[in-house]
Amino acid sequence: MVKRLFFWGITAGILSAVASIIYNKIFTFAFTYKGIPDFSRIINIPVLIGTNLIAGLLAAGGFWAALRLFKKNGELIFNILFSILSFASILSPISAKLPLDLKNIELFPLLAIPMHFFPVIAWFTIRPFFAGNLYSR
Amino acid sequence: MKKMIYPFMALLIISSSAFTIIKSQDWKIGENYTVKFTSSDPSGVFTGLKGTVNFDEKNLGTSKFDVTVDVASINTGNGMQNTHAKSAQWFDVEKYPSIKFTSSAITKTATGYEAKGTLDIHGVQKEAVVPFTFQNNTFTGSFDVNRDDFNLNPSNGKAAKIIKVELVVPVTKA
Repeated sequence: MVKRLFFWGITAGILSAVASIIYNKIFTFAFTYKGIPDFSRIINIPVLIGTNLIAGLLAAGGFWAALRLFKKNGELIFNILFSILSFASILSPISAKLPLDLKNIELFPLLAIPMHFFPVIAWFTIRPFFAGNLYSR
Repeated sequence: MKKMIYPFMALLIISSSAFTIIKSQDWKIGENYTVKFTSSDPSGVFTGLKGTVNFDEKNLGTSKFDVTVDVASINTGNGMQNTHAKSAQWFDVEKYPSIKFTSSAITKTATGYEAKGTLDIHGVQKEAVVPFTFQNNTFTGSFDVNRDDFNLNPSNGKAAKIIKVELVVPVTKA
């Protein structure tokens, strides 16, 4: 089961990273004029890949722990917690203190907040590939 | 001919006196200036500094600063805090769009200079003293502002009352 959860986490992380990179490109295309705002020092491809892989693997670890602790109710509790934590995490881009030389920082939450939901969406999206007969093993 | 001598002398005195009026050097504010404010909370920068700077180390009597800072250019590093700072609760940008400092006297001190003048923030005018140095065509100074003096959200007890303002203003001869 650990191997299956590991690949579930990695795959969710990769999918979520791809979605984040695409969203970052769309944001840049839609809101950047003459290089402003430029949040590439904070949000860039390596950061997006790294954070999403960490999020995916943490989710896998959390799911494993939830199944251990709560048995058959584990997935239900984990899903609720994962959604709540994703929602709560939007406070971090809202309260983030950015470098003072960055311009139009009011737009930063618009870039970062949607990305906070990509790991949970990716995790749920690929569930059928990984959790099909999870409880029978 | 004798009648002309006095008007001629008057004209001579007036024209020669004109050369005795020494105008201090005009300076243009460079682009890489910083107007920084720091406290335990909040801290940040203003990016909209403009005005006239007349300063001559040899003629402080004719030197004068008349500068304004665009309050809307405030950047605390947090978008929500910026919006909050511009609101009626704090700077009230709609009503008081700029911070002004007009010097009335510039004097030499042991460590540099002091500009005495009127600081206008949030519609409140107060006498202020700004100590500064002038080296390599750059003005550097710092002074404290008590936000209660300028009626900046005095009921807020969480934000620091004393805000340290630091200025580094490179200039070029105008």
